[in-house]
Amino acid sequence: MPCPYLRYQSSDEDHEFDHDRPYCAAKGSFVSPMRADICNDRHEFTHETHCDIYRQVTEQREERASTATGSLE
Amino acid sequence: MGYDDYLGNEKLIITVATTGGVHGKDANPNLPEQPEEIAADVRACEKLGAAVVHVHGRDEHGENDAARLQAVDDAIRDRCDDIVIQNTTGGQSPLEDRIAGIQTAPPPEMASLDMGPFKRDRHIITEHTRHSIDTLAAAMQERGIKPELEVFNSGQLNEVYRLIEDGLLDPPYYINLIFGGRAFTLPRPKNVLNLVDNLPPDAEFTLLATGRHQLPLTTLGILLGGHVRVGLEDNLHYSDERLAESNAELVERTVDIAERLGRDVATPSEARTILDIE
Repeated sequence: MPCPYLRYQSSDEDHEFDHDRPYCAAKGSFVSPMRADICNDRHEFTHETHCDIYRQVTEQREERASTATGSLE
Repeated sequence: MGYDDYLGNEKLIITVATTGGVHGKDANPNLPEQPEEIAADVRACEKLGAAVVHVHGRDEHGENDAARLQAVDDAIRDRCDDIVIQNTTGGQSPLEDRIAGIQTAPPPEMASLDMGPFKRDRHIITEHTRHSIDTLAAAMQERGIKPELEVFNSGQLNEVYRLIEDGLLDPPYYINLIFGGRAFTLPRPKNVLNLVDNLPPDAEFTLLATGRHQLPLTTLGILLGGHVRVGLEDNLHYSDERLAESNAELVERTVDIAERLGRDVATPSEARTILDIE
């Protein structure tokens, strides 16, 4: 299953293309063709294992969730 | 090969690598990705003096897709006069995908053949086991496709000698010496000289250097009697100050340097003769 942060869009603040390209919503930038294989879990790649951005964002989210839960206790 | 070949004015084969599999239009909007725009770029480069084109396929999003090689080859043949098509068999996809590079119809006259694995990213490695190298080499030999042997770092020259010993290559052996950052041979002139000195007999070399090293080291390659590969796949910039406007701009500069150094540029037909492509 592709990365939940993967989007296909034709523009951002700095670029405008005439076609949709892979875009990382977590990093806020377009993804290179080489790294798009990781985003799409192609070949032997999985975004959970091979994408440091996904892992970092996921860890931060889990930390925030843990802190929020802790504050309610 | 060496300086004597330069003095002897062996014709210079210029390969253009227009697209590659690493960068996209977000890195340089002038990098062609779709078949028609690649073919238009190749035509411009052929008119300037490129004899060989190294081809990658991309899908409609600009992502790597070996299945699109056929469409790119077809578009190049439609637009160009005679340029030698060299399909990639490299990349990070498995062997069954990469072999698509030699399964187009008609087959390409040339194909790249990586001499080993190398790191591309923190988590990405291009896997090339001896099994996959031998499988591709044997298939190319059987189909009469001339391999360009991609030596990403100096140790991979051993693999060329092994393939020769195993009878999987036919002379002249066309070896692409690759220089750059990360996993490639350290881009220093002495390393170029060392690798050229250690080439097997009956070898022709071409030189690829990434980024800012493309201009100085390909110039050195010309002086050492070798051939060169240039293009946006390997170098997105024309100078430190600006991006390249096109592949043609990089080819034009190489032709200009070669002419100033007194080295004539090979036509596609002359490249076939040098490389013994039938």
